[in-house]
Amino acid sequence: MTPRRLQQIHPPAAGPEDSATVPERPTDRPEIEVTASGDGRFEGRVRLDDGRAISFLVHRDGQQVHVWIGGQSYVFSPAAPTVRVRGQRQGASDDIICPVPGVVIAVHVSQDDAVEAGQDLVIIESMKTEQIVKSPRKGTVQRVSVQEGDRVDRGMRLVVLHPLTEAPGGGGSC
Amino acid sequence: MFAKVMVANRGEIAVRVLQTLQAMGIATAAVYSDPDAKAPHAALADEAYALGGSSAEETYLDRQKLIELALSCGAEAVHPGYGFLAENPAFSRECAEAGLVFIGPSPETMELLGDKIRAKAMAVQAGVPIVPSSPLWSPGDSRPDELSSEIGFPLLVKAAAGGGGRGMRIVERRQDLEQALESAGREAASCFSDGRVFLERYIPAARHVEFQVLADSAGNTIHLLERECSVQRRYQKVIEETPSPALDAGLREVMGRSAVATAKSAGYANAGTVEFLVDAQTGEFYFLEMNARIQVEHPVTEETLKLDMVEWQVRIASGEPLTLSQDDIRPTGHALECRIYAEDPYADFAPAAGRLLAWRPPSGMGLRLDSGVTEGMEISAYYDSMLAKLVAWGPNRQAAIGRMTGALESFPVVGVTTNIPFLIRAMAHPAFVSGDYNTGFIPQHPELTSAPGPAGLGAAAAEIAELFWQSNGSNTARPTADARPDALGPWHGLSKAVYP
Repeated sequence: MTPRRLQQIHPPAAGPEDSATVPERPTDRPEIEVTASGDGRFEGRVRLDDGRAISFLVHRDGQQVHVWIGGQSYVFSPAAPTVRVRGQRQGASDDIICPVPGVVIAVHVSQDDAVEAGQDLVIIESMKTEQIVKSPRKGTVQRVSVQEGDRVDRGMRLVVLHPLTEAPGGGGSC
Repeated sequence: MFAKVMVANRGEIAVRVLQTLQAMGIATAAVYSDPDAKAPHAALADEAYALGGSSAEETYLDRQKLIELALSCGAEAVHPGYGFLAENPAFSRECAEAGLVFIGPSPETMELLGDKIRAKAMAVQAGVPIVPSSPLWSPGDSRPDELSSEIGFPLLVKAAAGGGGRGMRIVERRQDLEQALESAGREAASCFSDGRVFLERYIPAARHVEFQVLADSAGNTIHLLERECSVQRRYQKVIEETPSPALDAGLREVMGRSAVATAKSAGYANAGTVEFLVDAQTGEFYFLEMNARIQVEHPVTEETLKLDMVEWQVRIASGEPLTLSQDDIRPTGHALECRIYAEDPYADFAPAAGRLLAWRPPSGMGLRLDSGVTEGMEISAYYDSMLAKLVAWGPNRQAAIGRMTGALESFPVVGVTTNIPFLIRAMAHPAFVSGDYNTGFIPQHPELTSAPGPAGLGAAAAEIAELFWQSNGSNTARPTADARPDALGPWHGLSKAVYP
């Protein structure tokens, strides 16, 4: 097994903890047969532990490696610095990140508003569909980074909540 | 017959319509927005004209621009596809005033059917059962209690001008009603320029079954059997099939007659679809609405009846009579359609944009792909997220499912997240395989959309990515199309690698 330098960024790993950890395989390396190659891309077959040989396609795009295998698509990128990883962890995050590209059509909160878990924060129209961005937890709004009419991309910061330890009046248990 | 037709749409449906027009020997013109300058529909047409702009409003929804282009290129008719202006009576009327034939029903019929309240009254007159619903609600209206009292909860908020699930919300509790009305009204206003919505009783465990109809200008009307469309997310269809596993011969007969009665009562001419809800528990059915356009899912009907629905649209619009009779409609086998959406099945089907780094559709016996994209294309957030429709035909349902599964598993797509992994799981799900499913299929089965564990494919993918990344980093040799070992760059020196 090759030492891991990449982290799976999509799809999200199902396990509750560390998404980057892949169980050790009993064999060292899978048997890989390359059938075609092109600009930054290889195609071939890989033999799985259960003996099946299935097709794959791997494509590098900048800092991302895309792998299609047996109907499933994966995206990997170099493991992010610890700080970023911590910021991305669900549940305790302070940054509310835009899930889709599109246009902001409504902002339901302003600075210093108290919000409940599940409360609507921002509505984004993307591909003709409204996407409602909800608060992942109870807290207080530190900053709203977008306004109505803004064009936004996936991964952009929409709203920042006060960190839990600093939340004013945050005596509740979270 | 027309000498030249302009297609006022984009994506797979524009390609689909252009293909039929070309097969009929009709000259074709396409229109395109800035992001679509290199799109397949623009390349396929004999002539293609820039609409200038990116948003739908300044391009495919700009009626004046479209009519001016149609006139200046010498088109005699306009095919609107579905979505955009397909069910816009004003566009149809303006086409007629400009001397252009609009390939679709008359503006009067569209106005009637586009108003869901009037359409329901019309169905009642035709003797077709309907789902109880409220009068219209407009933004600022303060009567939600009055409107909901006769309907009860849970209920649906629906757009009066609706279609395709836009402006639709399910409301379980009274306290969520105002917000749902406002949100649905806003979405409806954005999609249809009409923010009016109404309430409708929600029937749990319902199946969505629709009947295709064809009618000519003389009123000859037949139906082309049903399509089962119960696999939905956000009230939008994802998987369709015909025949429906929910109908027996008796129910099919009665619903088919109701569909024809509805179309005749609406004075319908051209291809249209009558949508019904079927209560899976009681076997009762209710008229929902009639869609005055070609449907996204029309290919499953075409594959079991071996006919070209777009060709019939064009022939009827040019004044030809419908030469098919109801007795000519004899289906063969079973057809399934999977809509390939650019969206994340593991994140509540959130839309996903990006560049299609790889797009390798499968092909073979009994397979059909209606696609509007090509490899390398940028998928923007401006338009709908549907990339293509994969259709599989088989002599029976089981064979069609098998063929579809094989095709989905051998359809490499990277760069843009798609719902293909979900579709593969759906094809294998016991509820789908048994045919006993309803519109709650996706929410009732969270295993369809839960992220995959790291075992199996994920582990192999991680290994492949790692090898590719690490050897690519240390080896500057550029990979070539020739896959000899010494030309392999990133893969050079793999311990167990086997090269052809």
